[in-house]
Amino acid sequence: VKLVRAAKDQFVFQLGAEEKHVLLHLLKLYPRLPPAHHRLSKEGRLPDPEASQRLLDEALAEQRAESKKKLHALLADPQRLKQNPHGWRLSLSSTEIEWLLQVLNDIRVGSWVLLGSPEEHLKTFNAQTAPHFWAMEMAGAFQMELLHLLEGKREA
Amino acid sequence: VAETLTPELRPGVVETTEDKSKSSLEPGYLVICWNDPVNFMDYVTHVFQLVFAWPRKKAEFHMRQVHEQGKSVLTRESLEKAEHYVHQLQRYTLHATMERDE
Repeated sequence: VKLVRAAKDQFVFQLGAEEKHVLLHLLKLYPRLPPAHHRLSKEGRLPDPEASQRLLDEALAEQRAESKKKLHALLADPQRLKQNPHGWRLSLSSTEIEWLLQVLNDIRVGSWVLLGSPEEHLKTFNAQTAPHFWAMEMAGAFQMELLHLLEGKREA
Repeated sequence: VAETLTPELRPGVVETTEDKSKSSLEPGYLVICWNDPVNFMDYVTHVFQLVFAWPRKKAEFHMRQVHEQGKSVLTRESLEKAEHYVHQLQRYTLHATMERDE
């Protein structure tokens, strides 16, 4: 992934054909994190812990539904992803980049949870775990690319 | 917090805003970020900067605490504000919770 243009609030990225294929495949996995994953409190010593937890669950469910809709719209928009002789050009605003980071991290963390939340190295690598491992690593790779591009832009 | 190939950063002494008197904020809730091996260090720093509008140095200091000590108390707030921050951090899939401060 290369940043080819950053003007005002519009970022244009160049992706190779394989990168585009991988990115689209990854994004189709969203949402990946199980809904009950998030806990508001470990100790639960809140005035109304159940209501507070319910509020968090609802807020996150709403966010995911909105994100999924947004993702469908983005992928269906022919102006966002345009083919050129070198591959594909993807146009995103800075707000969309932040949102894409959230989406990619959901895929990364969700894949890690599906792998059994390993503390260090993956113990079993087989046909069942390989797709989750692939998704976790690929989502992380795209995340780091975007973060470095954003950081470079901030320092420029 | 998962390590990346970015250069090592020394947090040094960072001024924080957690020295507000407890009484002025009672009842208080601590917003805590817990370590996990999956969220990248750069990503955690980035999210702290966005959610709390912290400068990079302070965000890195707290990210380092999470990575090295297993958790970092990010702020102490009222119930509603602490809830708001935990919601924000969890939108970014960070392992954050709120706990009642004694």
